Amino acid sequence: MIGNDIVDLALALKESNWKRKGYLAKIFTKLEQLLIIKSENPDNMVWNLWSRKEAAYKIFNRNTEVKIYNPIQFKCYDTYKSIGKVMNNGVVYYTKTEINLDYIHTVSVLNITDFESIKLLNRTNEIIKIEGIPYLKVANNKEMNPISISNHGRFEKIVSLF
Amino acid sequence: MNKEETITKLKEIIKPYINNVEAFENLTEATDFIVDLNINSANLIDIMLDLEDAFVIDIENQDMEKMLDVKAALEIIEIKLANK
Repeated sequence: MIGNDIVDLALALKESNWKRKGYLAKIFTKLEQLLIIKSENPDNMVWNLWSRKEAAYKIFNRNTEVKIYNPIQFKCYDTYKSIGKVMNNGVVYYTKTEINLDYIHTVSVLNITDFESIKLLNRTNEIIKIEGIPYLKVANNKEMNPISISNHGRFEKIVSLF
Repeated sequence: MNKEETITKLKEIIKPYINNVEAFENLTEATDFIVDLNINSANLIDIMLDLEDAFVIDIENQDMEKMLDVKAALEIIEIKLANK
């Protein structure tokens, strides 16, 4: 199972004012808020943590078919390590986050070994949606491979497990 | 405040964040903020804060969890206003 989330940093700066009163407390735990406040680049830390929560939520949503809006309940840990964790209701989601000047991108998996079999796709691959959930049609095969699509502003990432 | 007035006020609040004008113009109780109106999920927090200010209510995390569509938002606002 796989989830991913991308944040276009230029668009996030335009779209969201995380400094407004009450904003951080609705999304982030006390510990996460501390990470943001103490960060050398608070803007990046906000979207770094946010993309981890969203990527993990995508797996949760796919597995449970439950739609819920509770980012604060997806708690980020090990954010300073190359493989981080997001915990929700006792479930651990592993995360890898890429940060550059333009975007922050997190890929999340349930089995840590799945990081070895992640593949980036593009729109030329044949993607179909069943009840809003995207799958990749595998050539010469009736099997369908679950994929995760994320887009924001200038960027789109499509990831799958092989 | 009756339901019509609440919907009007709700529409005013969500308007700056929508990315699908057609779905907004045809808004019903079944309209989903993210799926139909293409509202960025981080902007849902802004909507919650704007609703708190406009209706002078507190939206707790357990309320926010369900507020993904117009129907759920109206229900929470009504309950909060009734308990004021």
